[in-house]
Amino acid sequence: MSKKKSVVLLVIYTLLIAALCFICTVSFSYGTDNLYTFSSVMRMMEKDADLGIAYGANADAGTYLGGGYSAVYYPEGVISAKEFDDNTDGMSEDEAAQYAADYVRYPDENGSVYLEKGVACDDNGAVLDSFRTAFDAALATVTARYAGLRADGARVESVGDYAIGVFLPAMMDGEYTAISVFAYTGELSIRAGSDEASATDVFTIRPGQTIRDYVKKITSRSAGDTAYVEFTFTDAGREALKTATAGAADTAVTLFFNVGETNVIQLSVSEVYDQNTLYISGSYTAETANTVAVLFSTALDGTAEDLTLTPADAYFHSALYGSNTLVMLYIAFGVFFVAMMAFFFARYRRLGFVHLYTYLLFLFAMILCGWSIPFLYLSVETFLAFLLTSVLLCFSNAVSFESARKEYALGKTMTSSVKTGYKKCFWKLFDLHIVVAVIGFLVYAIALTGLQTAGFVLGLGAAFSGIATLLVNRFGWAVMMGTSKKPGKFCNFKREEVEDE
Amino acid sequence: MSNKRLNLLPVWAAVSAVIILAGIVLMALLGFNVALDRPESKVFDVHYNVVVDLNEESKASLERYCEQAFADAGIVYSDVATLDGQSDPVSLDQGSFSQTGNDFLLRYTFGADVSDASLAAAKTAVEASIAGDEAFLLPAETYVSFDTYSLQPMNESVWRGAVAVAVAAIVALIYVAIRFGLGSALTGLVACVNDAFLTLAVFAIARIPVYTFAPMLYAAIAAVVSAVFWLIRCMKLRDDAKEPSAGAVSAEESLAGVCKATDKLVWIAAGVTLALIVVCALCTMMTGAAAVFAGALVPVAAGLYSSMLLAPALHVKVKAHFDAIKRKHARYEGKKKTAKANAED
Repeated sequence: MSKKKSVVLLVIYTLLIAALCFICTVSFSYGTDNLYTFSSVMRMMEKDADLGIAYGANADAGTYLGGGYSAVYYPEGVISAKEFDDNTDGMSEDEAAQYAADYVRYPDENGSVYLEKGVACDDNGAVLDSFRTAFDAALATVTARYAGLRADGARVESVGDYAIGVFLPAMMDGEYTAISVFAYTGELSIRAGSDEASATDVFTIRPGQTIRDYVKKITSRSAGDTAYVEFTFTDAGREALKTATAGAADTAVTLFFNVGETNVIQLSVSEVYDQNTLYISGSYTAETANTVAVLFSTALDGTAEDLTLTPADAYFHSALYGSNTLVMLYIAFGVFFVAMMAFFFARYRRLGFVHLYTYLLFLFAMILCGWSIPFLYLSVETFLAFLLTSVLLCFSNAVSFESARKEYALGKTMTSSVKTGYKKCFWKLFDLHIVVAVIGFLVYAIALTGLQTAGFVLGLGAAFSGIATLLVNRFGWAVMMGTSKKPGKFCNFKREEVEDE
Repeated sequence: MSNKRLNLLPVWAAVSAVIILAGIVLMALLGFNVALDRPESKVFDVHYNVVVDLNEESKASLERYCEQAFADAGIVYSDVATLDGQSDPVSLDQGSFSQTGNDFLLRYTFGADVSDASLAAAKTAVEASIAGDEAFLLPAETYVSFDTYSLQPMNESVWRGAVAVAVAAIVALIYVAIRFGLGSALTGLVACVNDAFLTLAVFAIARIPVYTFAPMLYAAIAAVVSAVFWLIRCMKLRDDAKEPSAGAVSAEESLAGVCKATDKLVWIAAGVTLALIVVCALCTMMTGAAAVFAGALVPVAAGLYSSMLLAPALHVKVKAHFDAIKRKHARYEGKKKTAKANAED
């Protein structure tokens, strides 16, 4: 490559790196009174609920500060001791005594809940077996619902013996919706009619049958920006739905999808519906569609005897790992970056710039993916996966440099050394990257939550590292070396000294 | 490193087997020590509402009363946080949480072993302190309670993680089989499985506190590290196999040469990875993330162990076996060729 051509390409390469650096990291306000803001990719990127510190576009709006929200579901017949105190506060002594006569503090005088006599306990304060069984079923249902969300950091805890604590990360878009609707209990029912009051059940569930004889499954799916709740009916369900919507062409029929007595979805139907699958869209995001699908799925096993749950005591919790974790991760990355560059510049002198450019391109590609791929976010796991692929890239670059160094030492020209060096290590580095990428992407395809995201980052990082080390690095080397008159000195490569006898 | 290690397969296999078996037993009986996720804890809550106009001094007083009460009861909390009250999630019209602005919760978290009697004594003491403080004019606006929180297991992510690691390792080693031969893939598979289980076993036996998600993350790291380290050996093995003298070299000599040539590279790769993880753990020392990074040292160490000791020693046997099959096959092919040539003559 001629020197002039090398200089031109180097300038373009440098400008590309600088532009990517600017887009990825620099944010600023402009216009009158700083009316407009240019947000960098890093600023727009969301991060894990566990890392702390207000960050990104959502933090600018004050809506996202890491951490998450908790609430407590109290089943019917159970109220918190605080609520009991609040309720009796404004009562006269007689009223308070009358009110208190209906409740028993549980488990003792220091208990945090009161049980209602006749609902949760008998007159002597002994918990009813039927209530205990119903509470266990409610706890299992709520746990299944939160597990079904597959949200990183979701938790369900039993609080004392007869309340359920839940937690969802603020990173979700619909944590409020999920905590609200997951309190709905009872069986799934689909009713049809002109209004909710007069609507009748679509399915005639006979003795020995359940709703599962009519509804196979309920899932969610999304295509582009539209998300759906998908009902799959059995043949009997399809037939019943066809009958219920038979007159829809003349008079619009509304389908009411209820959990217990609570209506979750209303759907207007203007023609006979005769299919096994029903897609319901609306204002759903992929996340809220999944929430509603999980709710309906678990309600397939619901019964009319299910305890009703009341969500209360909602609180915001700060980030799990502490408020400074993100800054500390940046510092750790800074230490790694400085150590990496110190090694490459010390060992390879100006060839270190080739690695620097390659690494920066890899870094910005990862940042851009982190921003543009919806399910990617920055967490401790993904950071670890990113660092492992960074090590892979450094290792690969060092291997290719060393391979060329050996060739150069034998007396070959620099161009020939680079060519032969790369030829010797190309398939080795290729295999290495393929294996890591395969492991990463397969873990992503099968695992859930944090491990899934980390797997994807590992796979993506390995793919980028492979491209960077096998293509970009070689290109950068050719371009930069072309600007130097003494390529051996540029790379800090030395010939083997042969002593004449 | 001495090449005696190549002859000590029974020792390395025994070491791995003992640790893994002990780990499996403990995993089955006790599971992992997921203490960082607080599977069971006791919380001591002081609700307060700024309707009583609690100034910063009063808030500090509340904390002081609690600390004093805990000290008197002889109990020590593991965490304290002030939580902002949110509107109750009952109306879907609202759509998102919003801060009430006047409800707060001072929450102290204790280990599950703290007795209810001690917490009850602390509760009584805090209530008495609040009642005796004129700054809290409306005592009803503060409320003290304590409870036991028990985490409900969500196992799907754990078993899906285990399946993911197993499938990923097998598929990756099918690729190794295609590129480097069945023998290398078998040894690599054994090394990967060994490292993943060894990592899990170390966490189970040493009762190292981890988050629930962490064991499968570490198993995945062990599989990746193990595969990478074994690939380094495989590449050299393939290079050596191309040498004209390769056929005359025994499996043991071949592995000895490979180990000698690649030990440095494996040590450097492992050293850099370990150093990086240590840096991350040190940088995040004051945060909860340090535990995640510190735990990641185990899978890298496990990968180093199998790459240095178990895998080469095992591959001596595997390679010898495959070489014997190859020689037998070559003799058969040779006989066929000779017979064919004789027939043509």
